[in-house]
Amino acid sequence: MIIVSKIDYRKYFQYSNKILLTCVALLILVLIPGVGTVRNGSRSWFGIGSFGIQPSEFAKLGLIIFTSKYLSNNPNSMKDLKRGVLPILLITLSIFGVIMLQPDFGTGTILVMTIIGLLFVAGLDVKIFLKFGAIGVIGVAALILIAPYRLKRILSFLDPWSDPLGSGFQIIQSLYSIGPGGLFGLGFGNSIQKHFYLPEPQTDFIFSIISEEFGFMGIIILSFLFITIFYNCLKISMKCDNLFGKYLSFGITFGLIFQSVLNLSVVVGLIPVTGVTLPFLSYGGSSLLITMVSIGIILNISRFEK
Amino acid sequence: MFYKNIHTRIKIIILITIFLFVVIIGKVFYIQVIDYKKLNKYATGLWSRNLPLAANRGVIYDTNGVELATNITTTSLVLIPNQIEDKEKVAKDLSEILGVDYDEMYKHVSKKTSIERVHPEGRNLNYEISDKINNLGYDGVYLVKEAKRYYPYDTLLSHTIGFVGIDNQGLSGLELIYDDYLTGSDGSIKYFSDAKGNSLSMSQIYEQPQSGVNMTLTINFKLQEALERELDNAVSQYNPDQALGLVMNPNTGEILAIASRPDFSPSKYQNYKVEEINRNLPIWMTYEPGSTFKIITLASSLEEKIVDLSNDHYFDGGAVTVGGATLHCWKHGGHGEQTYLEVVENSCNPGFVNLGLKLGKETLFKYIDLFGFGKKTGVDLNGESSGILFNVDKIGDLELATTSFGQGVSVTPIQQITAVSAAINGGILYKPYIVKSLNEPETNSVILENNPIAVRKVISDDTSEKVRYALESVVARGTGHNAYIAGYRVGGKTGTAQKVKDGKYLSGNYITSFIGFLPADDPQVIVYIAVDNAKGITQYGGTVAAPIAKNVLMSAIDILDIEKRSDAIEREYLFTDKQYALVPNVVGMSVSDALKELKKFKVEYSGSGDIITYQSPSAGENIYEGETIRLLLSE
Repeated sequence: MIIVSKIDYRKYFQYSNKILLTCVALLILVLIPGVGTVRNGSRSWFGIGSFGIQPSEFAKLGLIIFTSKYLSNNPNSMKDLKRGVLPILLITLSIFGVIMLQPDFGTGTILVMTIIGLLFVAGLDVKIFLKFGAIGVIGVAALILIAPYRLKRILSFLDPWSDPLGSGFQIIQSLYSIGPGGLFGLGFGNSIQKHFYLPEPQTDFIFSIISEEFGFMGIIILSFLFITIFYNCLKISMKCDNLFGKYLSFGITFGLIFQSVLNLSVVVGLIPVTGVTLPFLSYGGSSLLITMVSIGIILNISRFEK
Repeated sequence: MFYKNIHTRIKIIILITIFLFVVIIGKVFYIQVIDYKKLNKYATGLWSRNLPLAANRGVIYDTNGVELATNITTTSLVLIPNQIEDKEKVAKDLSEILGVDYDEMYKHVSKKTSIERVHPEGRNLNYEISDKINNLGYDGVYLVKEAKRYYPYDTLLSHTIGFVGIDNQGLSGLELIYDDYLTGSDGSIKYFSDAKGNSLSMSQIYEQPQSGVNMTLTINFKLQEALERELDNAVSQYNPDQALGLVMNPNTGEILAIASRPDFSPSKYQNYKVEEINRNLPIWMTYEPGSTFKIITLASSLEEKIVDLSNDHYFDGGAVTVGGATLHCWKHGGHGEQTYLEVVENSCNPGFVNLGLKLGKETLFKYIDLFGFGKKTGVDLNGESSGILFNVDKIGDLELATTSFGQGVSVTPIQQITAVSAAINGGILYKPYIVKSLNEPETNSVILENNPIAVRKVISDDTSEKVRYALESVVARGTGHNAYIAGYRVGGKTGTAQKVKDGKYLSGNYITSFIGFLPADDPQVIVYIAVDNAKGITQYGGTVAAPIAKNVLMSAIDILDIEKRSDAIEREYLFTDKQYALVPNVVGMSVSDALKELKKFKVEYSGSGDIITYQSPSAGENIYEGETIRLLLSE
């Protein structure tokens, strides 16, 4: 994080195309059996010993950099649908498509939403959003139709107890850890659910374990910390004079926000299980690394403030 | 301007973010506070593993609180394979202590299950073995207390109480019928474990097992003991195929004692044939009742007022021809001229045929039905038979005639004793029952209580009184004389029934029975005894079953504290019968005076001197003439 924070963010501006190309290359490389490792049913990891790297996380960062540059170079492109918005969307969707080949629905969604967030901030007409929103809904529906397990996840979210050992298992186990936490929790280190009941307690479902051990008060404090971080990041973005820096810091922050909200909503049973990690808290591989890199970039941007 | 636009949109994003976090926190609040109880319960169930603690079965008491079936606590081995570290060593030690094959034991200790039992070697362990296992002190090897059914009187009442299996589940008799009540709810020790079964260092929860409901029977333990003893004596004396006995309170339908031979030991039920265990003879067996059934013909005739016992006469020539068939009296040559009272005393078949024909089939079978034959009595035991009667529409005179002296019908002992109770208790047919009450084990509050159920009034008080008089007369003057007890007004009737096999009567193979009650003026207890194929004796109800019934009745006098009567029908003696005599008081007399007083008895002395200081039996007892009186002498 500190190392990254020392790198001048304007260098990303310079190398944005190369970064993006590298990321896409890695994304394609990971799909080749033998190079990429299969974990939890997705071929989305470069396994180096027990350490794993997800190129899709880097691709997300790369795409944010690229889009920020594109938007800052063409400040008025938002008014021109064909030349301004479509190229970005095409690149985004093609990268999304590659990620979905792994498949990694969670990261793919974050990537697309982050870019849409960027376009929104860049001043894209709200009417266009509605049009693309409709297309997006149709797209999601199509994806569900392609892979029925996604539908099962959605159904299990509506009634997790209908299939407690199958599709509803994770969400039930998550609720089992949040529930007994009560107001003040079982105490640090006293979680029972983390003892092999809840799958991935240290990554995707870290929030459940936190609420089990620290209770409702812990969740309040944690949420407050998250909001503080995000608020400060967005403040950096607002203060930034450089349009590229502004877009870049906003895009990164928005990505983190979206990922956090997505993870928390899954864990508390508001939306179906998607399999994304919680920034800052989830253990493991590239997730924490990417979070640190992202914050590093934002810190660097903040150095150039007046 | 352009930046301002961007900043406005970023602020919108901030607001949306905060809103989403509030929604998430709200959901967490809902889960942790509103849904807390439900989820916590489910989660505790998920995390905890139970070491089961078996509950005691309800105790079965006799009417006076004697424990007939109770519990003893034993120990069982429980393995939690995931907590056992050195599986080879544990398997080796346990296999040595329990005498189980090593490979077998290794399979147990390494089985992929949360709790494993070693069955049956690891169940019901004695103190020595459980001590050894305890001393091993291995993790994952535990001993839990288990309750095991215990029958302190072993074979006593075995058919009726039944028995339980290895898991304390009722398998037959009352144990089966009332299993839901008698079974308690098992308790447990809950410990918390991770998903792989390792125990977590959290407090254990102890859930106390709840004992089953206690049951009180109408059985009188002492009477039951007396009945069992008499049947045992009968078995050793006559070696019968089967024997059975029933004692009832004729005024309520309460079964006071019930027993069958052969019997079985409930703790070793595996060693017996299924038929022997399942056949509770007093309610299951059906056979021709023989002459005990004449009580029904008698009661019907008296109720219909077609006979006057002392004034109407009947001449028995030894046989009677009905419907083309000749029916013989049991006494060769017949009884000659008799009053109807004498017909009853002599159990004269042609006399009863005459009564049956006078009644007609509709009337006789109406009474047979009213007395409860041909259908189950509804006693609260399982395995009851209903018996077989002629179909009334197909009855000719011959069938009517045989039915009136107890042939061609098939009845159960419980039907007989219930029907005769009605005939002598003032005419009310009671539903027999054996379970008096079910009580909550801790508070003793009543869950279920059975009270006498009067099914119907069959005959009048007046008729019933006449039946009692006739039956007392049977014992005092007739075929039932072997059941006579001086001063206690025994009434009764003998029965000797031929057995049917493959549609033919067997010869030399009878079910001999006796039904007797006392005192005849106010019956307190009624006894039914039947012995199937007694050997080494002339098979008559009067010779085989009556003495057994008499002994049971004598015990009942003591146990039920029945008062002696003064206005009994005097015993009439046959020339072969020994006479009773009252023992006079000779204590304090000189030897020569005493000998004059004791002319009817043999006398033995002990001690020396001329004055008698002690006599045995003591004054006032009735003993046979010619029996020995022992006297203690001193100066």
